[in-house]
Amino acid sequence: MSDFLIHVTIMAGIFSLLALSLNLQVGFGGLMNFGQIALFGCGTYGAALAFEQDLGMLTGLFFGLVAAAVVGWVFASIGRNLQADYWGIVTLALAEVLRLIATNEDRITGGAQGISGIRPFFPGLESRPQQLAILALVLGCVLVAWLLCERLTGGRYGLGLKIMREEPQLSASLGYDILALKRQCMVLGGLIAAVSGFLFAHYVSFVGPDQLGTSETFLIWAMIVIGGLGNNAGAILGAFLLQFTFAFVPFVKDLTGLPTEFVAATRLVLIGGGLVAFILWRQAGLIPEKTGRARHV
Amino acid sequence: MSEPLLALTDIHKAFGANQVLKGVGFSIAPGEIVGLLGPNGCGKSTLLNVISGFAPADQGAIRFAGTDIGRLAVDRIARAGLVRTFQLPSMPRRMTVAEVLTGARARGTGFAGLFARPPAEDAAEVDRLLAELALTHVRDLPAAALSGGQKKLLSIALVLRARPKLICLDEPTAGVHPNLRAHMVGLLRRISADGVTLLIVEHDMHFIRELCGRCVVLDRGSVIADCAPAELTANERVVEAYLGNARDKGARA
Repeated sequence: MSDFLIHVTIMAGIFSLLALSLNLQVGFGGLMNFGQIALFGCGTYGAALAFEQDLGMLTGLFFGLVAAAVVGWVFASIGRNLQADYWGIVTLALAEVLRLIATNEDRITGGAQGISGIRPFFPGLESRPQQLAILALVLGCVLVAWLLCERLTGGRYGLGLKIMREEPQLSASLGYDILALKRQCMVLGGLIAAVSGFLFAHYVSFVGPDQLGTSETFLIWAMIVIGGLGNNAGAILGAFLLQFTFAFVPFVKDLTGLPTEFVAATRLVLIGGGLVAFILWRQAGLIPEKTGRARHV
Repeated sequence: MSEPLLALTDIHKAFGANQVLKGVGFSIAPGEIVGLLGPNGCGKSTLLNVISGFAPADQGAIRFAGTDIGRLAVDRIARAGLVRTFQLPSMPRRMTVAEVLTGARARGTGFAGLFARPPAEDAAEVDRLLAELALTHVRDLPAAALSGGQKKLLSIALVLRARPKLICLDEPTAGVHPNLRAHMVGLLRRISADGVTLLIVEHDMHFIRELCGRCVVLDRGSVIADCAPAELTANERVVEAYLGNARDKGARA
């Protein structure tokens, strides 16, 4: 496998984690979270700040997880009585607020310059084995997250989430504490997103506010809409599909002699066009949600 | 006499300038089947919303099984054992009938519950309820695909899963085929025989007479009668509320 393919697979794995976490919230919980990138940012900045203070990687992971749990909890709690779509706008705004704080708090976050030179994973290894070890680490995390999401969504909690997603009034009238369900869902999703951010920070060795733009949120949305809302395998498929498609756009450019701007534009067209096409013609996505799978003990 | 299961005292509820409930008060003893009647717009549905916590009362007290539930949220009231059905039950599209029924038992939201699977006895109970409601053949269909009448039956099964002490039913027979209606009567009798108290909002007088030992009649936000169903036709205020005052009719003609 070429270095390039390994790199693309690692990025696809990191985004698979994000897609799994957003799918838990949107696909199963019906929570229109447009601020997912902020939870990812908790992971990246947790890693970066721990690196700056020389506190070790695991401390950075811990920072990220705690921050994401807090932010997820706050997201779920703020505007708790809003309808799903209005709440979605609040999450979008909150994520932007957090990005702006990261941009402007120079002393802590390095401002727009970000924090660079973050220690990579497995620094003792040579380039190729190091890449392969990172690949194994990332894919291992994806596997664990996938198993976790399958377990969460395939049992009692998943049934509660789905009733809330579709009939919140019915769910409350049966005794479900909707706010608690939402908070748990946002915190669990936040934890997975923070792991993704942690891996990303140490992989690319740079953390900055530009990585946390809303366009990244919509990229994750495109992944789960295309892959299949409410299907964990679909989320992973969507992440891989989009990452690999993007990776090969430059080759198409070279082959056809199109200008460089073509690459950036194509990325946007693929995200926007993919979203629109799937919403119009195949709402269930490539791997639709499966019903009737809940298993008893 | 035993303590009432549900006691409403002086319930007031207004939406803006529209005073819908004006001092409603009555009690329900454990095991009773009570019909809640009244012309359209008299406040029946609002009263149901007040009792179940969807629209907290502006004034007045609601005691259920010895505790004050007037300020509790919907889910807390449900977990205390007071559940309701809806007039037009709306069911999930992306869940099967069996899944909704399995999930209808909310078991708290602790950390351990996140990873738990529904216990095996749930599967047995779900199958038993589906068989009783003659819904076994649709168990793997999306719940939203059921007919209106089947949804009404399913919504009763859902609230039964929540282990209620009192069920408030909002027009259980509206839009239901007569065959299914007979089934509904049998089902509600069985539920009552199992010790569950029922409060039924209903327009169908046959249904009320078949089931209820007692009726509460609302008109313009107040209780105008509280008696056995057989006595309703002899009650002047009830006749007036339903048919209108004879003098009014003459004036309008």
